[in-house]
Amino acid sequence: MSMRIAIIGLILVVLSACGGEKKSDEQKFLENLDSAKTEGPTISQEVIGDILQQIPSPLEISMILKESGKKYNVTYLNSADNRAKYNTNYKKALNLGIYGTDLGYTNIYEQNQDGVKYMEAIKDMADGLNIGQFFDIETVGRLATNSKNLDSLLLITTQNFNSINHYLQTQNRANLSVLLLTGGWLEALHVTCEVAKSNPGNKELEETIGEQKIILENIMLLLSFYKESDQNMASLLNDMDGLKKVFDKVNITYTYKESTFEIVDGVMVIKDNSSSTIQITKEDIVSIKEVVDSIRGKIIS
Amino acid sequence: MKKFIFVVLSVFILSTLEVIAQCNSEAMSNQCIPKLATGFNFLKSYRVEKGAKEFVEYSYVFTKGTQYMINICAAGQATDGIVVSLYDSNRNKVASSKVNGQFISAIAYPCNTTGIYYIQYTFDGSTGYCGGSALGFKR
Repeated sequence: MSMRIAIIGLILVVLSACGGEKKSDEQKFLENLDSAKTEGPTISQEVIGDILQQIPSPLEISMILKESGKKYNVTYLNSADNRAKYNTNYKKALNLGIYGTDLGYTNIYEQNQDGVKYMEAIKDMADGLNIGQFFDIETVGRLATNSKNLDSLLLITTQNFNSINHYLQTQNRANLSVLLLTGGWLEALHVTCEVAKSNPGNKELEETIGEQKIILENIMLLLSFYKESDQNMASLLNDMDGLKKVFDKVNITYTYKESTFEIVDGVMVIKDNSSSTIQITKEDIVSIKEVVDSIRGKIIS
Repeated sequence: MKKFIFVVLSVFILSTLEVIAQCNSEAMSNQCIPKLATGFNFLKSYRVEKGAKEFVEYSYVFTKGTQYMINICAAGQATDGIVVSLYDSNRNKVASSKVNGQFISAIAYPCNTTGIYYIQYTFDGSTGYCGGSALGFKR
């Protein structure tokens, strides 16, 4: 009797294992059908993911802005009230990135009331793209009420955006991830240009603007993968090409020197002996600002 | 027949145990986040799991004037032979966390040159080939 039970059990185990495999094949087939409906990028998702992960967090720029000593200015940001205007996935993804940068800016300046408005706008955009589940508005809102929670607030917000980007890539929706990061980067550049304009002669801000040439190259590469399959992204790439022409005047030179290190409290602290110089003129900054404002104006309108 | 069933069941149980013991690099990368030193803001968490290649590599644009920290987490306190190396955009080696035979669990890099940096993880005498890592920044 016990032998029979054992044999039946084994058969069930084997059948369930086969069933699992079958389901996986079905899933793959359905996924293929789905991806065939919309023409995909001209390059593998893995390569796109590799380039996407290089794009730096806009939070880094917000920190530089606060360091520059300039006061918080909400007029630099895209009004959260504009969110009702964004009805397409293209606009939602770009403005999700823009609002993400704006939220980071309000968080760093501890402007909680404005921050709450941006959280709501982000939740709206994310829900519209069916990725609202990754933005934990309750936790973020609770943390935002107390300035002592700034570190946790920045951590949770970064984790939420990382999860969104990861999810979009696993769902073959990396195009939205590209737009999200493009919007976030463009907004950070826009705010930096505004702060630099009101803070003439600040070398660090000018260099920060010049360094964006490196990021722009990556963003243009990402957009180029979709230029055949997505008219909106092709148009955005064309706009970015205008920005590239202005950035072409910026000259970045590197000098490599081997680094040294010391161990401090169990951490290897590197001394970077390399250096770089960024040649950018005031006229370049004015031109960059003009083109950025023009592109951003189309996105937020 | 009894022997046959015993063998098949053993294979099944062992394969199940193997699945359970599989690398959970995502959990390890999450464990690494709170281990970033005070003052560092979290940027990215990385899964470090040996695949087809001998190394795992990620990249990120570092900014001049910003200090970055990369740490390593593995099962237990030590790094289990996981070494992180940092390369600049021209593939010049900037740092390696293995020095004089010692495995260091975190490196801090005050960046002087904006550009793409490659964060490469290798396995040197590792037993689990499984870990996680976090990247943070401070100004």
